[in-house]
Amino acid sequence: MEHKVRYEVLILTSPEITQDEGKELETKFDKVVQSQKGLVVSFERWGKYRLAYPVRKNDYGVYFLARFEAESKDKALIEEVKTLFAIKLEDVVMRTVITALDAKQSLEYQRPRSLEETPPREEGYVRERRSDRPMMASNQDAPLGSEEDMQADVE
Amino acid sequence: MTKKVKLKISARLFKKKTRRNGNNGPKNCRFCSSAEQVQQLDYKNASFLKGFMTERGKILQSRISGVCCKHQRTLSSQIRKSRTMALLPYSAQYYNN
Repeated sequence: MEHKVRYEVLILTSPEITQDEGKELETKFDKVVQSQKGLVVSFERWGKYRLAYPVRKNDYGVYFLARFEAESKDKALIEEVKTLFAIKLEDVVMRTVITALDAKQSLEYQRPRSLEETPPREEGYVRERRSDRPMMASNQDAPLGSEEDMQADVE
Repeated sequence: MTKKVKLKISARLFKKKTRRNGNNGPKNCRFCSSAEQVQQLDYKNASFLKGFMTERGKILQSRISGVCCKHQRTLSSQIRKSRTMALLPYSAQYYNN
């Protein structure tokens, strides 16, 4: 019995990656997957994002999501993909994570908005800074609404 | 034998006891009730997962967010995965800049 096993790879690259280099990534990925008798399902470029913390001294990065299928649980295929992104393309690719997907799961997913998709700020928009707000003696680590909930229980 | 005298509990001790036994019925886990929400539980869906973290970047306890333990485990593992991919922070130091 042949089971189709689906995998996805999320790659984080440095922000200075060009469109040509992105296409190069795609062709290399295609070559590697096909050499191991796999099937490429999709290869998407998410766009430039502001990272939650600096990675290799970059505050921004470009994400790519690649999905591929294999006939059965093939360790060689995953190893090849891993070596491609984590070792061979190490200077461009900063982070990579490979996940196994359910075969019956839908291919839809949600992702945060990239910097290219967020609309530009209007003129005259002043961002409210924390220092401008009135000083409150509040617990810094309190999650939203927890203190009110706790008092409601006691009463 | 001395008679056992029931002392009046102070307000502070009373609050402490009720806080410990404050079970207001069964928890309603939002993931157990709808399959759509379970689909949103993905490490790529950082904006959804951010709602389960505190301001400081810590993962919220299930007794506050109301998530059942099975889904809390999935939720935490997805948050930790997206942390490694820099979609979510480990701590909020870089948030407030």
